[in-house]
Amino acid sequence: MSDRITAQRIASELESPVEEAANLAKKLGLDPYPVNYWIVDHDEMNELIAYDGFQTRYPHWRWGMKYDRQQKQTQFLGGKAFEIVNNDDPAHAFLQESNALADQKAVITHVEAHADFFAHNQWFGLFSGGETPNAAAMLARHADTIDEYMSDPEIDREDVEAWIDTIQCLDTNIDRHRAFSSATEEEGETVELDDIADQLDELDLGGDVVDEVFDEEWLESQRDDEETATIPPEPEQDLLAFFWRHGMAYDEEAGKAVEMTEWQRDVLEILRREAYYFAAQKMTKVMNEGWAAYWESMMMGEETFAGADEFLNYADHQARVLGSPGLNPYKLGKELWEYIENSVNRREVIERLLRVEGITWRNFHDVIDFDAVQERLAPDPIVDVITADRLDAPDPADPRIDADALERARAGEIDVGSYPWKVLTQRGMAERHYSLAKPQNRGFVRRTGREELERVSRYLFDGERYASVEDALAEVDRSVGWDRMFEIRESHNDVTFIDEFLTQEFVDDNDYFTYEYTQATRDFRATSTDYEDVKKKLLLRFTNFGKPTITVHDGNYNNRNELLLAHHYNGVMLDVEQAKQTLERVYDLWGRPVNLKTVVKEVDEHDLEVAKRREREADPEERGKLLRYDGDRFSMEDLPWEAVEGIAATDVDYDTKPDEWLA
Amino acid sequence: MGLQDDLERYREVDLGGSRPDSVRIPIKIVDLPGFEYDQRDQGGVGQGDGDTPEPGQPVGEPQPQPGDEEGDPGEEGGEHEYYEMDPEEFAQELDERLGLDLEPKGKQVAEEVEGEYTDITNTGPDSTLDFERLFKQGLKRKLAMDFDEEYVREALRVDGMGPQAVFEWVRANHLPVSRAWIDDAYASLPAAERTRWTSIEAMEANVEETDTATRIRREGIDHVPFRREDERYRYPEIIEEYEKNVVVVNIRDVSGSMREGKRELVERTFTPLDWYLTGKYDHAEFVYIAHDADAWRVDRDEFFGIRSGGGTKISSAYELAKEVLEEEYPWSDWNRYVFAAGDSENSSNDTEERVVPLMEEIPANLHAYVETQPSGNAINATHAEEIERSFADAGDVVVAYVSSPDDVVDAIDRVLSTEDDDE
Repeated sequence: MSDRITAQRIASELESPVEEAANLAKKLGLDPYPVNYWIVDHDEMNELIAYDGFQTRYPHWRWGMKYDRQQKQTQFLGGKAFEIVNNDDPAHAFLQESNALADQKAVITHVEAHADFFAHNQWFGLFSGGETPNAAAMLARHADTIDEYMSDPEIDREDVEAWIDTIQCLDTNIDRHRAFSSATEEEGETVELDDIADQLDELDLGGDVVDEVFDEEWLESQRDDEETATIPPEPEQDLLAFFWRHGMAYDEEAGKAVEMTEWQRDVLEILRREAYYFAAQKMTKVMNEGWAAYWESMMMGEETFAGADEFLNYADHQARVLGSPGLNPYKLGKELWEYIENSVNRREVIERLLRVEGITWRNFHDVIDFDAVQERLAPDPIVDVITADRLDAPDPADPRIDADALERARAGEIDVGSYPWKVLTQRGMAERHYSLAKPQNRGFVRRTGREELERVSRYLFDGERYASVEDALAEVDRSVGWDRMFEIRESHNDVTFIDEFLTQEFVDDNDYFTYEYTQATRDFRATSTDYEDVKKKLLLRFTNFGKPTITVHDGNYNNRNELLLAHHYNGVMLDVEQAKQTLERVYDLWGRPVNLKTVVKEVDEHDLEVAKRREREADPEERGKLLRYDGDRFSMEDLPWEAVEGIAATDVDYDTKPDEWLA
Repeated sequence: MGLQDDLERYREVDLGGSRPDSVRIPIKIVDLPGFEYDQRDQGGVGQGDGDTPEPGQPVGEPQPQPGDEEGDPGEEGGEHEYYEMDPEEFAQELDERLGLDLEPKGKQVAEEVEGEYTDITNTGPDSTLDFERLFKQGLKRKLAMDFDEEYVREALRVDGMGPQAVFEWVRANHLPVSRAWIDDAYASLPAAERTRWTSIEAMEANVEETDTATRIRREGIDHVPFRREDERYRYPEIIEEYEKNVVVVNIRDVSGSMREGKRELVERTFTPLDWYLTGKYDHAEFVYIAHDADAWRVDRDEFFGIRSGGGTKISSAYELAKEVLEEEYPWSDWNRYVFAAGDSENSSNDTEERVVPLMEEIPANLHAYVETQPSGNAINATHAEEIERSFADAGDVVVAYVSSPDDVVDAIDRVLSTEDDDE
């Protein structure tokens, strides 16, 4: 009982921060789903984390594992400020009651930004088709269904669990670019032959055309094709959907493949639907986390939402989240967003500057006084310094000023000491937080490369010219950076985000590098700091959830109803051992022998020896392989190169080793 | 159903893919396989901290990175942090958490260890050659033997000064020039030049001697004379280091009555203890003993996860422990810790008649017994109580009770914070 009282006390303490965080978010131009906040204790928090942020999930040991880990982590490593928010409208977010107020506020601002991202990123819209995701209800329904199967005396609970395990092995093997539709709706891929004749009639072609082109023979050939057509007609990336339609279960007792039972098909479809629901989050992790970190830091740090006394605490929180070792996707995301903001703002500035009489891309660096530019770009004190005793200064007609709020502030209804941003509009906020004016971005304009200057100047429309640098800078639109960021958060996912915005300047500024395993030294070595290399390694990690692309090629392989999967080889080979274990699982969904076509790299012992002696890397040879599992044992045989030509991409190269390392 | 149920199922699941050793805090990870890239072939991206490694520089094993594990953005504060620890860190954490500062007492042994390479000898392997010294000595030698050749040649151009006169002049001026060099130089001087100056004073007034430093700066050094006698080899200092000798005997009951739940609790208690002590003492040695009615010694790997059947006789384990300790770890040299765990069920009178006397006969810094009874008390599970009663006054015996995973930390705390203070 006293627990509830604690929770209530905390809830009332947080009421105002929650409300103000939402106001501040809106002021900054964010448009989040409404968020319901819940106060939970640490154990409930651990449970929520185990359940991926929801209160009910289907029964499975994996949640138990996550829970156990989470519990130990907090037990042995000390508590941390957790934040959980799930993609739903309204979104639900959970705050841990033992957190300090500064942590709570940080979590709240972070959550508001996530809720904005959920609401506006098109990849999130893909699952729900623009409707409310209703995720919690969906997951609870799934839980009920699976729970019922497990409790059914006719069904062995362990069979259901094993079936779930099997499907989970393949839960990234879906077509992430496609909107989810249930597997039932996707049936009916055969077009009746009669329809073709009908359609031809409808086309109302001249009789001789029909006779010439679409004669009986052609119609027959269509029929032939259909009979010999492979299933699937095109390589299918959604393995789970394919198994739902064509898969069979292997029956131990009968010793042969049998039709899947009702519950098996049902569970398969349920897990597939969940995989699609969670796909959007996996596809936008860098962007989404970066987005939340960016706005959290804007609200907490720049707008001192934390309050001066809480700031130290907050800084500590940020450091812990972002300061993890190695490559941190969250940090990458935040850095990229900041870089985008800076470069869009810079572009606006140089476009203006290049229109000043006497300034060209050639003399840009020589004639401009960048310190003066820096000074000019600093925000107007009207938006920068807002205190109770300066409220006479702003003009209500100023587009940067929220006239209503100003009036209320003057009347003492708004505490500008705590919430100075309330008297500004978004435009005013954009100037107040203009990125190029910040100390850490000093020199960013000066550093513009000649190439960029030339490019910008080439596409510059004729039009007004400015007499002086001052005139030009007075025209700079300080909202362009944020405007562009809002556009990007709508349409991009991690892959397109990194592909489009990662530049050499970014890689240099943030010290990114690539590494590879080298045979000669048997360890990982740094290989390149070229942005093209960094980009391709990152893309490799984020494309297709960072997993190799596997498709179904044939459901009647060798005319024996065997399954043929193909690994679309992009120069990086499969983890063959894991592939074998996975094939064993696939067998459970197919019931008959399963095959996987792939390409592996092999290094000849002799070549390796020679290369080592020269302290060089051996150049491995790529070979086609067919991995087969017949329910009992594996075999791996060589395939002629022609057999894998179709699945091996030749136009990509993810290897970043310098050429001169190769023997 | 619900999460508690999921937890139970997870504890029971065994897909053969558990990696109990890859995670440092004893958390079992069950991996489901999937189609993945070969990790080595995949390579990756790292971020330097202002000092981006140059291509070719080793970067270490790729660390698991936040976000590698699946989950949803915005929710996984937990995924931001990595919970793998090495034993030393673990020990520190636990020390801080429990407010422990456990240092083993007494018994140290001197060991000769090679210290820093601060001693020097005249011979040794090439790799220990102090090249800096050799070079400095060579340079000194060079400077000592160096002189301004042009200046001395100028002296030979003074009218009336032959090699002998110049030799006397250089000696008087402390120039390190040999007579032979002067003779050679004089001989190669065209006769017309031998009368350029009328007197040595005129030459000295007009020609300035360039000092060695300036000349080296201008012309560089083409040759540093290394001499065998300048060679010095570094040699490690021999220091006596005092090591703390710690031996930990872990005893566990694996008899038939030790069912899943009890075994689980034993491992949950022993694993962190094992970790703690491994981390705490660089050279701790561990003895693992499993027993039912008989006792046998096992490897660490075997110890965790072992099961057997049959009755229970706890004294068998102590007999073995005594034997091992006396033979391999004499009390005079070793700090001994004897930890036992089980469900407190023992064959009748064994505790009183055999175990208690044995424990008295095995001197140790600490004897501990951890009772793991998930369901509270069984009627015949009295071992722990009897021990507690018998050693109520002893400071070096501790008994802890674990009936659920939640008790584990308390039990560890209790065990580790007890140590006999009177040595």
